[in-house]
Amino acid sequence: MDATVKSHFIGKEEKSAPRPRLLYRPTAKTGLMSWLTTVDHKRIGFLYGIFALFFFLVGGVEALLIRLQLMVPNNTVLTAEQYNMMFTMHGTTMIFLAVMPLSAAFFNYIMPLQIGARDVAFPRLNAFSLWTFVVGAIIINLGWFMKDGPPDAGWTGYSPLTSRLYNPDHSIDMWVMGLQLLGVASIAASLNFIVTIINLRAPGMTMMRLPVFTWMTLVTAFLIVLSFPAITIALVEVMMDRLFGANFFEVSNGGMPILWQHLFWVFGHPEVYILILPAMGIISEILPTFSRKPLYGYPIVVFSGACIGFLGFTVWSHHMFTTGMGTVATAAFSLATMAIAVPTGVKIFNWIGTLWGGHIQMRTPMLFALGFIWMFMIGGFSGVMHSAAPADAQQQDSYFVIAHFHYVLIGGSIFALLAGIQYWFPLMFGRMVSEFWGKLSFWVIFVGFNVTFFPMHFLGLNGMPRRTFTYDSNLGWNTPNFIATIGALILGVGIGIYFGVMIYTYFKGEKVGQDPWDGRTLEWSIHNPPHEYNFKVVPTVHARDAWWYEKHHKEEIAKEAAEHAKAEAAHGGIHMPFASIWPFVTSFGILIGAIGVSVLDHDPRPGFWGTKIAVSLLGGVVMFLGAYLWALEGNEGYHLHLEEEDGHGSAPAAKH
Amino acid sequence: MYLKSFSRTLARIGTRALVMASPLLLAGCDLNFWRMDGHQSTIDVAGPVARSQRDLFYITCDVTFVIFIIVASVLAYATFKFRARTEADAHAEPPPQGHGNPLVEIGLIAGSVFALVIIAIPTLKAIWYTYDVPEAEKANAYEVTATASQWWFKFEYPKEQINGVGPLTTGNELVIPAGRPVRIQLRTADVIHSFWVPKLAGKVDMIPNRGNAIWMEADQPGYFWGQCAEYCGDSHAVMRFRVIALNEKDFAAWLSAQKEPARVVAAVAAGSPQAKAQFASYKINEYGFTPKWDPGASVTPLENWQQQQFPNKDENPALIAQGRKLFQEKTCIGCHTVRGHEGVGITGPNLTHVGARTTIAAGLLENTPDQLARWLRHPNQVKPGNKMYNGGYIDPKTGKANFTLTEEDITALVAYLSSLK
Repeated sequence: MDATVKSHFIGKEEKSAPRPRLLYRPTAKTGLMSWLTTVDHKRIGFLYGIFALFFFLVGGVEALLIRLQLMVPNNTVLTAEQYNMMFTMHGTTMIFLAVMPLSAAFFNYIMPLQIGARDVAFPRLNAFSLWTFVVGAIIINLGWFMKDGPPDAGWTGYSPLTSRLYNPDHSIDMWVMGLQLLGVASIAASLNFIVTIINLRAPGMTMMRLPVFTWMTLVTAFLIVLSFPAITIALVEVMMDRLFGANFFEVSNGGMPILWQHLFWVFGHPEVYILILPAMGIISEILPTFSRKPLYGYPIVVFSGACIGFLGFTVWSHHMFTTGMGTVATAAFSLATMAIAVPTGVKIFNWIGTLWGGHIQMRTPMLFALGFIWMFMIGGFSGVMHSAAPADAQQQDSYFVIAHFHYVLIGGSIFALLAGIQYWFPLMFGRMVSEFWGKLSFWVIFVGFNVTFFPMHFLGLNGMPRRTFTYDSNLGWNTPNFIATIGALILGVGIGIYFGVMIYTYFKGEKVGQDPWDGRTLEWSIHNPPHEYNFKVVPTVHARDAWWYEKHHKEEIAKEAAEHAKAEAAHGGIHMPFASIWPFVTSFGILIGAIGVSVLDHDPRPGFWGTKIAVSLLGGVVMFLGAYLWALEGNEGYHLHLEEEDGHGSAPAAKH
Repeated sequence: MYLKSFSRTLARIGTRALVMASPLLLAGCDLNFWRMDGHQSTIDVAGPVARSQRDLFYITCDVTFVIFIIVASVLAYATFKFRARTEADAHAEPPPQGHGNPLVEIGLIAGSVFALVIIAIPTLKAIWYTYDVPEAEKANAYEVTATASQWWFKFEYPKEQINGVGPLTTGNELVIPAGRPVRIQLRTADVIHSFWVPKLAGKVDMIPNRGNAIWMEADQPGYFWGQCAEYCGDSHAVMRFRVIALNEKDFAAWLSAQKEPARVVAAVAAGSPQAKAQFASYKINEYGFTPKWDPGASVTPLENWQQQQFPNKDENPALIAQGRKLFQEKTCIGCHTVRGHEGVGITGPNLTHVGARTTIAAGLLENTPDQLARWLRHPNQVKPGNKMYNGGYIDPKTGKANFTLTEEDITALVAYLSSLK
């Protein structure tokens, strides 16, 4: 039991001066406090995943209500207002609260393992990102529980519909504040990932040996850091207009609503790559594993990913082909949009190249991955159709677009994320989903998805505009809408099976040993479920598929690992960061402040200490206090010493 | 054109397969939706702008379809061919660990670029063509101004000035000359809307502080469905309109009729005009049209529109006069113009010739007495959030009624509005 001894950061004396009580580092390893104070990237990733899946189900229920309303013409399941809230919240929830955090869950959990790191570069900042994301999600969804209701201006929030004149209640304030906080969380997390990938790679893990998922994490993180400022500015402007009477979008005072669209899509188009690039990364991990050969054309896949990221910033106005930009601008964005099809196509070619000549094993993650390629291909082709601006003038804001982006976001992102959950589940929890139930869930989801969204192509070409709560029966839209609703119900059943099986597997699933899929990358080299410290010895990387190489050069690696273990022990053992409550406190302060600014009514009485101002200031004080104490407690850590004869599998006991 | 016929053949085969499978899929359901010949079809088009957009769509379709067939075949082949079939297969020695072939990669990139060029050239042509009326026809183009509000459209004819009033103004039904380019200035009074008549042209947004325009041309006289295509608040889904294209002679006749002030039905001696009209019952929130609006009806929508131009047969002048009085008393005149009568407001649609329109409530309801009565009776259920109810019928701040309409009032108002041919 006394195998481990706590020791201070390298270079510090073992016995430092007693610390003020406030700055004692939390040491709980179980229970609620351990989750609130955790800085372990795996626990944070897990929490991201849980929250994301919760909101995925919320967004799914909203989608089903939308489909039920549209099942037959002139239906009355929802009123116009309720329907408008549903599609606004469905879009906002799925993009910001489901797909992005689910990708973030994988970034957190998998990326450090893939590069041979023991945590991310800034563990407490990582916790702050998580809790701020949760705060943003709460603020956006508060409207459900208030008389103002949730926002109803569409997930794109086109000005001037978001102005006080057309949306006087607080729902838009909450939407603005919530998105702003999600931006804070995303940017903080992305900077963390960038620094981690640049600085914390294991020896020998050169950039061109990074697993593709890690590469896509890096590209995505750069996209987030570069694109979120645009929406931050736009949201600040809306907030200024709404709260302080500024005139950025106020038409009567010369404001320009079109400005919102530009700022929004300068963010919004990179955002769709933020949603799809992690998915492409996951697919690029799964296909080689289950084909048992390396990714075909690794440098080109990586380069095309970066290329997509770069071009993603040059095509935002293809969302605005109908705003009358003029011929030259329309032509330029049209051609740039077509150009993006090339690197995307290259990825598909390389995935097929990976399959070619392999030993393809049709396990559940592989089914989802192949489903991804098929669906993403269809979504990609309808994307090329949109790039032809004049044709897009008919398709824009019609159900054709709905079909397109659900093919790339469900058939693309969600399929890949579901594949990723299946793929890494044994690593995270040491249990494997049953093949039968996994495959069944895939086929039900696959069929349901296509039955839902394929008819929408026809609906769009037949002139059905999106965001309409009702339609007439004489326009030829009845049958496709009916079929789509049936499909949505099937899709819902499929998702139900998928998550039912996941929950069952978490508690009762078949236990598996290390590396059940015969993986290729470093995350499979460790015990499952992983220890807190990830790697007993920091691995040395000799090849692109590092773990595959290790498996085929066991003696060489064993000898090397022993040497490194000795060297590490000489340096004081495994260095782990201390847990901290202050990131959580800081985020909590933000929650209070955000409620003050966006949810509470203006106090009509004159005077400084109105409730709104008091609560906002209180939140600010808690936030600054949290950040101050966070800084004051320092970035220290402790060392773990594993027992010499401790096998690969047993966890070390920590002593304090 | 080989590509096009190839993909058409495949589409036909697919269609036939679907037709054969249809009884199994959904017995009794209309499964002809892939024909896409609805009133708002972007495929079954009726003008040169929409046609150029559709033809471009076909090109993108054909190119992507061919690529899809090739890539999908290779993917399907690879998946099938290299599949591990047995346990032994799955655990066999790993296959050769090849990393790729630069020549294949570059070849595929070049191929994709070539395919995109096929799409890019007609795209560029169509961008310039659809943007504005071609130079040669500019002089011939007819100018109209469309202004959107939450949730209806105002149409003005700047060339048709009426002395002392301004341009000829109408609402929700745009009448244009057929066979002649029409250039429509797009304006908005509040939020962003989008002007979309799928059979005539793709949409262009109506954005505050921005002077957009769209051009379109109808090949033949006809009756076309349009709809706002940019989410604009509560009743976006029911913000619709119609475009009626007439031949040169009919158009001129229509213009001169429209320029006339509102009709007055000669009054007879006051009798007992209070007879309650028996309106057909209806369900709340049930929109829609009678069968004559459905495709395949005996009367075409254009013929129906033409019939709508004639005065009703058995008009009751006393009832109409009472309706006109009520129109004034219930403050309708504050928002609606009835040129020649009392109405002067401009917040709502111009109702000078509302009886001659085929639809009311912005293309939402058929212009029949019972639908008109329903619209007057429950405006907020027909069109949630509209200003006639919120601000007219009730004070939105206090929720108190500004006035009430009895069934008799509604009967009289319906008679009056229907008489405004």
